[in-house]
Amino acid sequence: MAPSKKKHASSQPCIIPGGFTVLPLQFSSDSVAQHSLYVKEHRVRAERSSHRPLDRTLFVLNIPPYCSEDVVKDLFSQFGCVESVELRDHPGTFWESGPRLSKVFKPVAKQGFKVGYIVFQNSSSITAAKSHPHDVPLVVCTEQRPVRTGVQKWIQQYRQSFINPDKLQQIVDSFMTDYDKRKEEDAERQRKEIEQQQEDEEGWVKVTRGPKGTKARPHSEAANKRTLHKEFRKKKRKELMNFYTWQHRNTQKEHIAELRKKFEEDKQRIALLRAQRKFRPY
Amino acid sequence: SKLSKHLNYHHSGRKAHMKKKQTVAEDPEEVRLATFGFILKEDEAPIKAKRSKPEEEEEEKEEDVVFHPVKLSRSDLYRPPSAEELNQLKEAESLFHCSLLKMQMEELLKEVALSERRKQRIDSFILTVTELLQAVPESPEVEVSDLSWLSGAVKVPFLLVPKATKGKFHMAPPASVDLIGSYPLGTCTKPRIMVDLAVTIPADVLHPKDVVNQRYPRKRALYLAGMAEYLASSSDIGTMRYSCLHGNRLRPVLLLTPPGKDSSSFTVCVHVCPPPGFFKPNRFHPQRNNIRTEWYTGLQSSGEPPTPHYNSSVLGDLLPRAHLQFLSAVSSQCSAFADGVALLKVWLRQRELDQGTGCFSGFLASMLLAYLLTTHRISNTMTAYQLLRNSLNFLASTDLTVNPSLAEFHSAFQVVFVDPSGHLNMCADMTACTYKQLQHEASVSMQFWDNPTVDGFHSLLMTPKPMIRTSDHVFQLCELVKLQSSCKKLNLLSELMDHSGNYVHTALPFILSLLQRGLGQRIHLLTHSLSPAPEWSVESDAPKHKAQPPLSFGLLLRPELAASALERGPPADSPKAAEFRQLWGSRSELRRFQDGAITEAVLWDGESMCQKQLVPKQIITHLLQLHADVPESCVRYVGAMVDDVIKTGSEVPSTGEEESLLVVQSYDDLSRKLWRLEGLPLSITAVQGAHPALRYTQVFPPVPLKLDYSFFDREKTSRSLVPKENKPCPAYITPITVICHMEGSGKWPHDRLAIRHIRAAFNIRLGELLKKHHNYTCRSCPTHLDVWKDGLVFRIQVAYHREPQVLRESVNAEGLLVVRDNEEAQALEMETIHKPLLTSTLHGLQQQHPCFGAVCRLAKRWLGAQLFSDDITEDTADLLVASLFLQPAPFTPPGESLPVMFIATPKDKTLSMWTKRAPSVQMLQRVVMLAAESLKVLEHQLMDGSQIQDVRVVMRPPLDAYDVLIHLYPKQVPLLSQAVDPPAVTFSRGVMTSGVALSGGVMPVIDYNPVSLYLAELQEAFGDLALFFCDPYGGTVIAVLWKPKAFIPVPFKTSQVSARRVEVTGEEANTFPNVEAILEDFRVMGKDMVKSVEARTEKWSF
Repeated sequence: MAPSKKKHASSQPCIIPGGFTVLPLQFSSDSVAQHSLYVKEHRVRAERSSHRPLDRTLFVLNIPPYCSEDVVKDLFSQFGCVESVELRDHPGTFWESGPRLSKVFKPVAKQGFKVGYIVFQNSSSITAAKSHPHDVPLVVCTEQRPVRTGVQKWIQQYRQSFINPDKLQQIVDSFMTDYDKRKEEDAERQRKEIEQQQEDEEGWVKVTRGPKGTKARPHSEAANKRTLHKEFRKKKRKELMNFYTWQHRNTQKEHIAELRKKFEEDKQRIALLRAQRKFRPY
Repeated sequence: SKLSKHLNYHHSGRKAHMKKKQTVAEDPEEVRLATFGFILKEDEAPIKAKRSKPEEEEEEKEEDVVFHPVKLSRSDLYRPPSAEELNQLKEAESLFHCSLLKMQMEELLKEVALSERRKQRIDSFILTVTELLQAVPESPEVEVSDLSWLSGAVKVPFLLVPKATKGKFHMAPPASVDLIGSYPLGTCTKPRIMVDLAVTIPADVLHPKDVVNQRYPRKRALYLAGMAEYLASSSDIGTMRYSCLHGNRLRPVLLLTPPGKDSSSFTVCVHVCPPPGFFKPNRFHPQRNNIRTEWYTGLQSSGEPPTPHYNSSVLGDLLPRAHLQFLSAVSSQCSAFADGVALLKVWLRQRELDQGTGCFSGFLASMLLAYLLTTHRISNTMTAYQLLRNSLNFLASTDLTVNPSLAEFHSAFQVVFVDPSGHLNMCADMTACTYKQLQHEASVSMQFWDNPTVDGFHSLLMTPKPMIRTSDHVFQLCELVKLQSSCKKLNLLSELMDHSGNYVHTALPFILSLLQRGLGQRIHLLTHSLSPAPEWSVESDAPKHKAQPPLSFGLLLRPELAASALERGPPADSPKAAEFRQLWGSRSELRRFQDGAITEAVLWDGESMCQKQLVPKQIITHLLQLHADVPESCVRYVGAMVDDVIKTGSEVPSTGEEESLLVVQSYDDLSRKLWRLEGLPLSITAVQGAHPALRYTQVFPPVPLKLDYSFFDREKTSRSLVPKENKPCPAYITPITVICHMEGSGKWPHDRLAIRHIRAAFNIRLGELLKKHHNYTCRSCPTHLDVWKDGLVFRIQVAYHREPQVLRESVNAEGLLVVRDNEEAQALEMETIHKPLLTSTLHGLQQQHPCFGAVCRLAKRWLGAQLFSDDITEDTADLLVASLFLQPAPFTPPGESLPVMFIATPKDKTLSMWTKRAPSVQMLQRVVMLAAESLKVLEHQLMDGSQIQDVRVVMRPPLDAYDVLIHLYPKQVPLLSQAVDPPAVTFSRGVMTSGVALSGGVMPVIDYNPVSLYLAELQEAFGDLALFFCDPYGGTVIAVLWKPKAFIPVPFKTSQVSARRVEVTGEEANTFPNVEAILEDFRVMGKDMVKSVEARTEKWSF
């Protein structure tokens, strides 16, 4: 990939194979070492979600743990107005499942290095970000934007972990109301489907495709297995094990073979232990 | 066909051995891994993961050593068996737990047997020595007391007290030189190969009256010195030293080794004997006197006391040839005799019973087997395995300290085992305590032999049992010369004469019985070390009696009685009261008890459990001082010495038993109150503790706290305290987890998120009710409810028994309900089912073994100090210790907390549940290594009084193995006072020192430990590059170890760039860890807590 157009005459952006631009980042202005962010326009064809518009989304790798979504938003605002920031542990498709959860019920996020999807308002911001010179680092913690780490951060976390019982109760109540509503809707839909499958007054049944309403089959895997197992046992019971002489002889033969095998195995084990000098008592 | 098979087997075995040696050289770590059968499931390297089970491990090993034993083909397996083979297979099946044990024993016998080559060397050396001895020149006859015929170079191996002796002596060539003892019998085993050679003094040197007044023993010693002088000039002898047989100074022997490089491979022991039948055996009857008081003391006396010990040592010289004949005859009848003796000798040696004064020697082992064979208790056709089993059974069930038919022997000796001639007691020097120890060991061995879950072979024959590991308490008598005055105090003059002045052995049985009486019901067993036979150079005088290592005594305690502070005696008016007062002296007082009885009693000092544990020490020092004149300074008591590191409490030192009890009581109260709560929509079905503090295994149990409110900030809306930024980190308050199971009901939703919300609602409701009825301060969170009660915090978690099931269920694309196990469900089951179960089980174990908790806590303290807490979790450690208590073979469950380091031999577990996450193979290996090292240091210190006495050495981890050290400000480490070496400076942490902790009030700062928060952050950010270690109990250093693979360049991938920098070469982009930035991050992320980051770049570079 060719280097993009040069805005800063003084120094050039650093672009590595794979098309990522390297953006240096340091914690504060007096830091001695830098991390590198790797940015690139988000370009996954398969994914056409409205959350990550292809032309306006910047894909950022290696965001240090002390950069929260707000910090990242602020950091990248120098390239243009930022619409949204999404931080994740691993790159991957966007999905949101289940009902909306209140913050306190969400599982605790990991505090490691993150990847980010930054959606700008204008696609020109992407070009701006990609042509950022490699010797001008982004600074996380500044006078205007103090970032708390260490003891300060932990105390703040502790302070924020309190939740008023009334508020918690409210959250629970609203979730449960939602839940009950969804349950009811589900039940309603199922009832309707069953209704549809029943004979109407002229004796006709409406036959539909699809997974729903197929009540005849066992609908759990465990039940499936149970049925199969039952069949197998039935078959087994019908067999006679020690009926003929040859069967009896075979059992005896098997027994001796078993003993022999065990003997050989023990011998192997002993040989191994001897090899390790395991029989020296002292 | 059997023979060829055997040969084949041997051959391939040797091949495997040779190959194996190569692999050892290449990869020592791999091999060491194979030495323990720990089940490890998740390992980092996929190759290692294969090694998860012992069987697999072996298969893999075999591939390693290119050892392919005869793979049995179908035709081999199913070919018709020969009668012989069938027998062999059947025997293996029926006699042994498996044929493995039989083969193991055979292999062991091969290890201890002498090789043909060595036998040849022995034979040729014996021949040389015999020829030399036969050429000993004659010397003119002199008085016995005249030593001028000896050149000064060689000394007489005898303590000549009193000096005067009558009689004449001259050197002459021996009448005969014969092999005796184990070597000609074929029962001689490695290590310490001792070949006994009997030299017969010619009859004209002796006089039949020489039995009296040590004349014979002195002539014997002179003869030995004469031989030593002659042999000293020969170049065919390597080294030459004196010793004495089993420490008996009347029976000196000469130890010869061959010259050159063979010198350490075997020793020839030259005994001197009178000609057979020279003395009449009936002169040596235990009731006869052969040492005259007048000669020995210079005082006139009316009646001469019997001298049984002197008699038996002279008689012992008279009989060895007869014994050899007898044993050879028995041995020729029974093919497995030699092997049986060898096994018994190994068993004895592992228990340190086979050497020293009063030991159960190899000779006694042979005699025991011969006795059992001749009395037809065992048959001649038995195998070595059966011989061992039967002799142990005999020892366990037969008490040789009492036998009414041998009353005259028993009046003179404590243990009696008479030889075939009927004259000699072969156990003359053995104390009753040693025999009891032997019996105890035998019965313990029988017990786990029959237990199929124990590796019988290992615990019987392979595991050494030194006293320091076997006993709960050990003490040593240091200045043995003090025992001289004990003999005086105990009035043992005639016994001293019988023992020819050896005051140590004279006083020992009396001291033992004194202690046995005093300790009474507190102990199971009192054991003592057997003084080793001294060895000294032929040029120096025989060492004095005091010149032997300190005597060690071991106590096996009865945990339920050992620590009782009260010794209740008989009622004041009973005749036994005088006896009691005599025993305890001034410590005995009249006391009135609650039941109205007035009895004699002794009350020992001790308030807390850890002080009471040392009551036996008080008893021992008191009794020794009172009755044996042994001052306290001579007693070095080793017991509860390591407990120091878990000691807390300022006024009354305590090792946490009392604190744990307090926590458990408070919990019981809370649990009762929870049960009684009314107004909950569903009822509570169970309240279970799930925290180490509730099973007595928390290293430092939580202590009720009273808080200084001014130290904190306040959070107004929730009425809680918050740490202040500029103050030291507040005292850490552990939340004690309590699981509260709710009734199952149709009202519970069948949805994971909904259940979570309902649980939150329960938390709120429970909090409200507890506040309303009991005025406890509560704080409800979505996941739990914290309750501030009696200065402790309980964290209540509501559980619904069907929740794990709900978490496992999901609907797949076809609408089928599938049940899939997942981590979330497992974690929940761990929290709500397994941990509470473990807690209640171990709580039960604590009730059975009172010191279980202390051992767990010590073990965990050690693991923590060695920075392993993260790898061996609390639960795992507790389980390991529990397995030690439940499967102690070959030991008995500890009655006290000393042998904690036994974690060095972790037992196999099928419960991989607890060890799934950690430890990894590498870590476990390091744990085992360090544990073995610590054990060594510790045992050394405990047994040797001259070492620096600092048990904390084993708690200080070696830090030089780590790559980066992060030093923390002690101010921000809340558990600083629990450190191994507590700092001189302490910080105020918002705790009031006086006053009683109360419930109610403002919610304190709970579970706020910046160190663990910091560790968690580091772990999450850099966990794939490095490992982080820290002592959770007040450690101020975080040790960082780069992972071995961290510095290997990786091609640029979007999923693998965390904390890495890119280097471009041509079209390739590789990533490396950005070490400089990482080190800076260590500082940034731990702002205000990290004092310095010390990168040890000499070990690595970036």
